[in-house]
Amino acid sequence: MTEFQPDNQIQIEINGRACTCTKGEFLLEAARRNGFYIPTLCHHPGIAEQGCCRVCLAEVVENERSKIVVSCVYPVEKPCKVYTDSERVKEDRKVVLMLLALRAPESTEIQALCRQYGVMDGSRFKPIEGEKCIMCGLCARACASLGTGAISTVLRGTSKKISTPYDEPSDVCVGCLSCTRVCPVDAIPYTEDETKRSIWGREFPLVHCQECGAVIGTREEIALAAGKSGEEVQDLCPECRKKKMSDVMAHTYGTE
Amino acid sequence: MKKQILICCGTGCRANGSMKVAEALNQAVKSHNGNAKVIADIKTTGCHGFCENGPIVKILPDNLVYYKVKPEDSDEIVEKSVLGEEEIGRLMYKDDSGRPVRSQEENPFYAHQYKMVLRDVGEIDPENIGDYLERGGYEALRKAVSMSQDEIIDEVEKSGIRGRGGAGFPAGRKWRTAKRYDNFPKYVACNGDEGDPGAFMDCSILEGNPHSVIEGLAIAAIAVGAKEGFFYIRDEYDLAVKRIKKAIQDAEERGIIGASVMGSEYSLKLSVVRGGGAFVCGESTALMASIEGRVGEPRAKYIRSVQRGLWNQPTVLNNVETLANIPKIILEGGEKFAMTGTKGSTGTKVFSLVGKVKRTGLVEVPMGTTLRHLIYDIGGGIIGNRPFKAVQTGGPSGGCIPESMLDLEVDFDSLASYGAMMGSGGMIVMDDRSCMVEVARYYTNFLCEESCGKCTPCREGLRRMLEILTDICEGRGREGDIELLERLGHTMQEASLCSLGKTAANPVLTTIQYFWEEYEAHIREKRCPAGVCKNLTCFEIEAEKCTGCGMCARGCPVDAISGGKKEVHIIDASKCIACGSCRETCKFDAVRTGARQNVIEGRQAV
Repeated sequence: MTEFQPDNQIQIEINGRACTCTKGEFLLEAARRNGFYIPTLCHHPGIAEQGCCRVCLAEVVENERSKIVVSCVYPVEKPCKVYTDSERVKEDRKVVLMLLALRAPESTEIQALCRQYGVMDGSRFKPIEGEKCIMCGLCARACASLGTGAISTVLRGTSKKISTPYDEPSDVCVGCLSCTRVCPVDAIPYTEDETKRSIWGREFPLVHCQECGAVIGTREEIALAAGKSGEEVQDLCPECRKKKMSDVMAHTYGTE
Repeated sequence: MKKQILICCGTGCRANGSMKVAEALNQAVKSHNGNAKVIADIKTTGCHGFCENGPIVKILPDNLVYYKVKPEDSDEIVEKSVLGEEEIGRLMYKDDSGRPVRSQEENPFYAHQYKMVLRDVGEIDPENIGDYLERGGYEALRKAVSMSQDEIIDEVEKSGIRGRGGAGFPAGRKWRTAKRYDNFPKYVACNGDEGDPGAFMDCSILEGNPHSVIEGLAIAAIAVGAKEGFFYIRDEYDLAVKRIKKAIQDAEERGIIGASVMGSEYSLKLSVVRGGGAFVCGESTALMASIEGRVGEPRAKYIRSVQRGLWNQPTVLNNVETLANIPKIILEGGEKFAMTGTKGSTGTKVFSLVGKVKRTGLVEVPMGTTLRHLIYDIGGGIIGNRPFKAVQTGGPSGGCIPESMLDLEVDFDSLASYGAMMGSGGMIVMDDRSCMVEVARYYTNFLCEESCGKCTPCREGLRRMLEILTDICEGRGREGDIELLERLGHTMQEASLCSLGKTAANPVLTTIQYFWEEYEAHIREKRCPAGVCKNLTCFEIEAEKCTGCGMCARGCPVDAISGGKKEVHIIDASKCIACGSCRETCKFDAVRTGARQNVIEGRQAV
């Protein structure tokens, strides 16, 4: 953690109100910390430097020059005036939301953003039928950061998509659902019943807690975690592990 | 007496068979070995820039240049022009009056050029380091190692040289900033990922004078304190990769670079990385991601790569042409360099002049040269003397400049002020038979395929622009489309992640700005004035001009043209597929365009 030293602080103005932020802090964080909400889609605290969806636009005026920045990746380096809802921001955001709404007409999250922030009329265009994905790539980055790398962005330009290599079931996917959890628009389909989970064209048997029967995860996922941590393969859910641990402690120290 | 035969063996001339010509000339020289009066030395060189007339053979010291040489010509060339002093008229270039010219200086294509960067390209053997050294090669590097880092940067700053890759950022300032960071290791890199359609200046320099680029990069490394450098070269540039690799090896073997640069305490390791095969890999941050082995996608550049570039370390990235200028700046001083060009854009610029001009190729002129001079004096004007319509500068993210601006003095700032850009120097000339809406659609489609697809405004904005432009070209344009394109373009400029997205709307916005009426003709009248968009075009024959020669009917692929000998011909609109071949073949300019729908409706009414 960087120490919050006075010489590290910058005075900025957000929507007319004086605020303080740390030098180099991302504008989005500074704004939210000071109580100004800026909408985001592809921003995730655990995955740095995304900046793809462009929903979090803000206007920054520095030395009397105004520019549109992407607040989630814009580091505040000097005193400036920030407007999170200026006309310029609104106009650009309406276009971006229209583009996203046409791209992912099935996404309820985008529809909600459009209702809240306004959207440009897109009736001139044909939306991409049935699409939910906004191509932010968070899923692929989450998968890669777990060391799995089962999915990635494929192709480029308007043909870009998220998939497994050659669209075939991936050998390395463990069915952990990290991709679905980071997805801001709930676009990655999977199914699950008592015994198995299906995702990215593959089925994974589910492992249940020996004590309570709750789902712990897929067999592959648990094996991968055990391999990484060097611990034994788990057969208890986190809750039951805690309980078991406290039972052992209680027995040892005799507080029963 | 000693004579030298230079054979252009750049990619263009190779494609035209120059390697076979070189072989045949070698044979011919050997078989005439009996003549002791003349010793002929054969040298394969880089590109002369006049590729459409290749293979090019130059004989020195006579300064006699032959074009479109075939292997069969070699005996005659050796006998008459090498051993003898005779000219071979048929192999010489004919100037605008039809007179054959001897030297490059007399050839109108070269006469108006001013060669600084390309000076040695086409003169030296790029695979022979000795040839480069003989012409004063690596003297600038020798001088640089004896200068302080700041002195080197001072010279580059004084020269005013701006990055030739497109954005035109002052190279000296970039070096100065990189030098200031006390964060090691630092890196230098050369951007040779030239991807604009029709552009081949960097290719020509890398192939034709690889050592000049290495020398420039080595000087950059010393100036900023880097010990490692990379050449990122477009994957398709096979010959350039081969030559740079060989040049690096030769320079290492001679102790020019490596553990000790020119015997100094500096060290420098250079390597070559082949491009990722995507247009966007030429964007600085995408290029660096690609060198690191990641997907070639740009990142937000609020923190510049001089601070956080390759592996998050300070990195200087310069374009091939920028680096090739550096040795001269160090040797002769920045002030001398700044004497050429304009105040804000010093030096020369290499353009690849292509499209509907009579003479196409690589041309180098001082910054500030007018478009008219480039297109009419060097390029010889428009093919078939048709009217000039526009010139597209700066590649797919550049703009289209209309006839009213032909006298524009081309430099970084002048082009930018008209919504176009210098880019890397591509220049595509268009005549009155180019449809500007179709041109915008073509570039938008190119960018739809070549955008990295990371950010919404670029990827989705381009998709929607293409949707509208395709509609307009196919006759489904609507009122309000132009305004919608402008609105999309504006947001793409403001909100895109990298320069590719920020400039991707330029072809659309400039064609709207300068050719508004052409968009309106497509949308309102369902007519393509240039006769290019098939759904909106119908060709008609003007009775007053038609001589009944029948050429059009013979060339028509669908037999839509009828007419007796020496009678006025008629095009059957119901059969015509609007391919335009009749218009191309007609020598009397008798084929004109009309609106397809109107014609069809008109016929139905009758």
